[in-house]
Amino acid sequence: MRLNRIASRSIAILLLVIILLGGMGFFLIEYFLNAGDWVMHEGSPHVYSGPNIGTGIVTDRDGILLLDMNGNRTYAVTQALRESTLHWLGDRYGYISAPALPSYAKEMAGYHSLTGLYSYSGAGQATLTLSARLQMVALEALGDYKGTVAVYNYKTGEILCAVSTPTYDPDNVPDIEGDTSGIYEGVYMNRFIQSVYIPGSIFKIVTTAAALEEIPDIQEQTFTCTGTYSYGTDAVTCERSHGTLDFKSAMAQSCNCAYAQIVDQLGAETLRQYVERYQVTQALSFDGITTAAGNFDVNDAAAVQVAWSGIGQHKDQINPCRFMTFMGTIANGGVGVEPYLVSKITCDGSVTYSAQAVRTEQIMPESVAQELQAMMRNNVLEKYGEENFPGLTVCAKSGTGQVGGDQKSNAMFAGFVDDEAYPLAFIVAVEDAGYGRHVCVPILSKVLAECKVLFDAA
Amino acid sequence: MTQFVDSLTNAQGTYVSVFLAVMRYAAPLLAVILLWRCCKPLLTFQREPEIWAWLCLSNGKKLPITHWENVIGRHKRCDIVIDFPTVSRNHGVLTRYDDGSWTITDTDSKDGIQVNGQRVQICALHPGDIISVGGVEMSLEPISKQQEKRLNQLRTKGSSGMESITNLLILSIFQALSCMGFLMGGNGKHVMSILAGYGGIMVAQWALLIFYLFLRRPAFEVETVAFFLCTMGMAAICTVKPGESVKQLAAMVLGIAVFLTVAWSMRDLERAKKMRYVAAVAGVGLLVITLLFGREYYGAKNWLVIGSLSIQPSELAKVCFVYMGASAMDRLMNKHNLIFFIAYTLIICGCLALMNDFGTALIFFCAFLMIAYLRSGSVGTIALAVTALGFAGVIALKLAPHALRRFSSWRHIWENPLTTGYQQTRALMCIASGGLFGLGIGQGWMKNVFAADSDVVFATLAEEWGLLMPILLVLAIVALALFAVRCAAISRSSFYTIGACTAGAILIVQTIFNVLGTLDVLPLTGVTFPFVSNGGSSMICAWGLLAFIKAADTRKSASFAVRAGKAGRDEIE
Repeated sequence: MRLNRIASRSIAILLLVIILLGGMGFFLIEYFLNAGDWVMHEGSPHVYSGPNIGTGIVTDRDGILLLDMNGNRTYAVTQALRESTLHWLGDRYGYISAPALPSYAKEMAGYHSLTGLYSYSGAGQATLTLSARLQMVALEALGDYKGTVAVYNYKTGEILCAVSTPTYDPDNVPDIEGDTSGIYEGVYMNRFIQSVYIPGSIFKIVTTAAALEEIPDIQEQTFTCTGTYSYGTDAVTCERSHGTLDFKSAMAQSCNCAYAQIVDQLGAETLRQYVERYQVTQALSFDGITTAAGNFDVNDAAAVQVAWSGIGQHKDQINPCRFMTFMGTIANGGVGVEPYLVSKITCDGSVTYSAQAVRTEQIMPESVAQELQAMMRNNVLEKYGEENFPGLTVCAKSGTGQVGGDQKSNAMFAGFVDDEAYPLAFIVAVEDAGYGRHVCVPILSKVLAECKVLFDAA
Repeated sequence: MTQFVDSLTNAQGTYVSVFLAVMRYAAPLLAVILLWRCCKPLLTFQREPEIWAWLCLSNGKKLPITHWENVIGRHKRCDIVIDFPTVSRNHGVLTRYDDGSWTITDTDSKDGIQVNGQRVQICALHPGDIISVGGVEMSLEPISKQQEKRLNQLRTKGSSGMESITNLLILSIFQALSCMGFLMGGNGKHVMSILAGYGGIMVAQWALLIFYLFLRRPAFEVETVAFFLCTMGMAAICTVKPGESVKQLAAMVLGIAVFLTVAWSMRDLERAKKMRYVAAVAGVGLLVITLLFGREYYGAKNWLVIGSLSIQPSELAKVCFVYMGASAMDRLMNKHNLIFFIAYTLIICGCLALMNDFGTALIFFCAFLMIAYLRSGSVGTIALAVTALGFAGVIALKLAPHALRRFSSWRHIWENPLTTGYQQTRALMCIASGGLFGLGIGQGWMKNVFAADSDVVFATLAEEWGLLMPILLVLAIVALALFAVRCAAISRSSFYTIGACTAGAILIVQTIFNVLGTLDVLPLTGVTFPFVSNGGSSMICAWGLLAFIKAADTRKSASFAVRAGKAGRDEIE
């Protein structure tokens, strides 16, 4: 009963061996299925540093170094470039999260289940669509204002320029916590994608498009403005009486009273449906970024509030990136092209990611888009001054978002260049600034001029 | 001139990267070659049964006696089956001693044993004695000196001296390259620690081999595997806590001393019989001392601090426990011995419960189950099972407050990656980062994680050396355990079988809990990886356990733990 049996019982160890090898096998299956997710999981030490990616280099569209993420992150050589790109690249300490690069961590790190993250020649390189020169020009043009300036190519979707202020130099971090002057208010936020603004009159573009689609004789109608358009005790007001206006002039003069009459004809529900169809308030996602969602709410609104909603006040809020995309849709004849930031990623000599333009469906009839183009072109010719944009067929609309309180209005300016050679859509949003046109046009003038240089050189 | 110096400095950087890049593939390749050479003879050696005597029945039939302990009985699993109604199922035991003498013992059989007509309980046998087992008459005819010599010649040899030297040379090349990798790719501050750690292992392994050659026992496979595991443990220490390399080296040398002592004590069964009391007292003594004077770390009171030295006596108690378990029921299936072992287990179990040492209790539990399973016969099964149940119950009670949190995060580590799942999520991230071939020596991040050189050492090595390397370490442990199983079949005494199998089982169980815990296949328990994890007590324990495996190796000229018999066995022809 003993030795023979003991010898045969020693097989019990095999059970333990099977458990061990079975467990290892189970792990290996998990490894080959999931290791790519593990290595890219937030906090993965060889990929991230804090919330930001910690490997690889980032350049602008022309190969100018914006950031080397290895080690302690080396930013661009020029201070203005560091400041103007900070919100896209993130800081060293994780105060500013820049989700675009981490979302491509796998492509950047060059992960492979056999070789892991090992790379003899170092990590990947991401090429952004941004132009370093444009970023610096835009930053300088914005000056001390808080806000954002952005331009994108509405044919390809490339974001050529997008600056958010206030910003700071990541190589020379100021005392943000201890600052009491307010100049760093919201400094960690990328206003282009993370903020929403009261649009003011740039929202009239939406109302105009809806009217063009919905009201057959809108181009033949005339509107009388006495400076006030009453709704019982409440009223929609203009700063002065515009007299009698046709539709085109109503937009050029940005006449609130005329637009109140148009909104009356459309009705709250119709207007809401067009806002929804044009996706003006929807969040937009690209490159791992999701923009802030806007707002258009006419539920239980009185007639006067509906009217103000059609003029870009009441509860209206728009995100600059989304509204810029809407401008691109108009310029494209009703088909949108979604913007993107990362154009190409290479790792160990091979291209691991290459951006593709994402086109939307036809969300606006082409005829309506063309009529809008003409009206917005008219705005520039009549009001904003063609001489501000030499060589560029700019179509635009200004806006002044009244925020209330002691603050001055937000100055807004949105539009596009109606020219195959310069397919640019843009938005300018400047906080606490005053009238849209006065503040935004000089800023945009500088940025678009530099854009033209960029296209002429190519 | 400065340009030249600059170009040299730059070139040095290139050399380092090239060296580290080549090492990514060279290291696992060398390891595979080494383990293949060492493990193949362990797993494939021919197991011829040794015949020690013939039992001549009155009908002229001769039964071969192939062990040193042979149960005679009617039951078909007996070593010597005599299917006759008056023979009890387990009638008696025929035992050979080191000097070649034989005894026969009655194991409470119904009809008893008679030698030359005298009813006996235990009796020394001489050639020509007539033995009557339940009325069946027979005589024992031991093999002659000549036959014994012939038998010895037929035994499969262990590795020759040349093979052992070649294997150790391969290991030394591996160590030298690893060491260079650390000096080039790691931090320059710890040059002395790294050199001392690797150099120390090299000196120790060659010294031991030379000692073996001097003893004319050149088989060195088991030791080479252990030294390889120690080398990778040193690699983890050099990257995580280079300052502790010498401490761990000292523990290894001490471990080898324990290994030699334990194995030597088992060379002679009579000596082992006396030693078992020492082991029993030492096992309980170590735990009691820990209970009285121990210090509590991380919820378990299992550390003894003497000056600057802190040891975990429960690790050493494992070796004593195996010794006890293997020898307590040595020779005879005797109720007295059985009760003694169960009582002993209960004492150990009580001590561990008081110490709140969950990990060690688990290992003891598995060791106990293994011994119980190997030993459980007709009388003991129930009693052993009940003890096992009690043991499990105590663990379950202790487990609730102490380890429940670990169980709650088990298979849910990604839900709390910064708290309860921190160690394992970092481990998986780093393993994935390393791929199969690693990021390169000294290039890892795991060192920033708690217990990177012990509890989660698998991940630390996988990150820098690639996943293949720690998998090879696991396979090396598996090879040791399988070797123990293979030896069991031709073992001379149940003492060696139980010792080797239990030691093998403990090595496997520790690897299961350590490795699969790190990988979140099982909950993380903080059990050490034998030979690899940083920790002196664990290292000594691993070497102590290895002694049981070494003692079961009966290949010719293989084990110093097997005595070269007076009959001239193991003579070098």
